Amino acid sequence: METVLSIQNLKKYYGATKAVEDISFTVDAGEVVVIIGPSGAGKSTVLRCINRMIEPTEGSILFEGHDMAKIKKEKDLKAMRRRIGMIFQSFNLVQRLSVFQNVLHGRLGYMNTASAVMGRYAEEDKQKALDILAMMGMESMIYKKAGELSGGQKQRVGIARALMQNPALLLCDEPIASLDPSSSKIIMNQIQDMAKKRGIACIVNLHQVDVALAYADRIIGIHQGRKVFDDVPEKLTKEMIETIYDAPIEELTVGLEEGVALHA
Amino acid sequence: MRKIHVIPQKQKRNTLIALLIVAILFTIATIQTEYQPLSFFMNMENFWEFLLVDLFPPQLADPPTIVEGIVQTISMAIAASLLSCVFSLILAFLGSRTTAPFQPLCKIIRFLASLQRNIPSMIWTFILIMAFGIGSVVGALALFITTCGFLIRSFIETIDEVGAESLEALQSVGASRLAIITQVIIPASLPGFLSWLLYSLEVNIRSSTLVGAVGGGGIGLIMMGYIKQFRYHSAMGVILLIAAVVIIVDLLTNYLRKKVLA
Ligand SMILES: Nc1ncnc2c1ncn2[C@@H]1O[C@H](COP(=O)(O)OP(=O)(O)OP(=O)(O)O)[C@@H](O)[C@H]1O
Ligand SMILES: [Mg+2]
Repeated sequence: METVLSIQNLKKYYGATKAVEDISFTVDAGEVVVIIGPSGAGKSTVLRCINRMIEPTEGSILFEGHDMAKIKKEKDLKAMRRRIGMIFQSFNLVQRLSVFQNVLHGRLGYMNTASAVMGRYAEEDKQKALDILAMMGMESMIYKKAGELSGGQKQRVGIARALMQNPALLLCDEPIASLDPSSSKIIMNQIQDMAKKRGIACIVNLHQVDVALAYADRIIGIHQGRKVFDDVPEKLTKEMIETIYDAPIEELTVGLEEGVALHA
Repeated sequence: MRKIHVIPQKQKRNTLIALLIVAILFTIATIQTEYQPLSFFMNMENFWEFLLVDLFPPQLADPPTIVEGIVQTISMAIAASLLSCVFSLILAFLGSRTTAPFQPLCKIIRFLASLQRNIPSMIWTFILIMAFGIGSVVGALALFITTCGFLIRSFIETIDEVGAESLEALQSVGASRLAIITQVIIPASLPGFLSWLLYSLEVNIRSSTLVGAVGGGGIGLIMMGYIKQFRYHSAMGVILLIAAVVIIVDLLTNYLRKKVLA
């Protein structure tokens, strides 16, 4: 498979805090890479450095032949960002706007300023939004306000918005952390579908090891800003999990039980 | 047995000291102004007499003039509110840290707004009268200036309250700054903007009477004229009319606000 993203020696320091310390990895098209690690390990920071929502301190981020870390012009950065979809723990929708409008926001990066400012979307974009929403079983609520949806529905809108971007890469920061197990399962299946059916490279930050095991093609373990594991799920041993989380496995089972329901 | 304090001793002591300071300040102020609440209430019959004999029954001496005055006052308030709303919106987008094209502008606009707001509309009226003479244009202008000061500030706060989350989402999509303003910030802040506009309308209906009284035209000036001519019955009629207008406007804006925020 062709490599979509290649990160080399990524570092991010906040003063004396080393949030990310020398992390390198690659992601191929259609691959689901799950990043696990304890709270504060640097998962979100890695993700946000990739699309430069956070400025990396050092390192290179090769995406579709460009080094994201070296882009200077705002315009070039925006052009790159539109090929990178992002999905958030708190969904990050505009609550007062309709589902349809929120999904169409995914096209804003591609439109000229006048159309974007006026919210004049092309008919084919609207048709595409309808198709995606139908695929997600949301066609009956396109004119509903995003604020009125359930958590699982909101996240589906979030995914639909990202899909509208035509992304080569999808960054998911704890996409299921605010969801119940059954919604979590729907969302994780949808992310997996996007990778497999559309060949999108997906990076997913997760807290639940068992979900990572179920959905990941590859797992990356981060501990205190450093990569301590990078391999297929089968190679993730109990000892390794304990190293990543710096805690005995018994203390990590609260999340595991939730995950058992997820597999059922 | 050891006593358990519900409120920490230190907090108790501070409250006591604060109360003491207030009492001392009150005493000094009373002595200074020779303000004697007791003798005021003793002389109440004077007041009642004035109220019952001089003010009542109220009179509407010259309905056409009065109606014209009321219309002028209301128009002054509406014009000042709407005009300052447009003006403040533009400045608020330039002055909010979330939307400002360059940061130094934020401080300048905030300073301008606090200058406009912290000088009361009456003072602005005096200043403007010195420059332009008496008239309702001066009244509207004075209201415009203070309303701008207060709306700029409120609008900036409304904009800054828009969740960082939806902004982050649109930034990650690659949307331009202007598109983010029209697609996220305006829809999210619109109810806030409207609610502040309605509030400024309420405030301006009240202060346009006052501003009018000191020379800004409208019903306030008419009322002042009656008072100066000792035509208290007519003055009272106008005062009651103003009160009625203020109450009606309040009811109306409250109703609209509920609609907007729903
Ligand atoms: N803006 C900031 N300023 C200073 N330090 C920060 C900032 N953002 C993050 N950090 C620090 O960087 C480290 C990594 O944070 P990050 O949010 O990437 O962790 P995470 O792995 O996503 O954690 P969680 O699982 O709780 O979301 C933490 O120690 C955090 O305190
Ligand atoms: Mg995080």
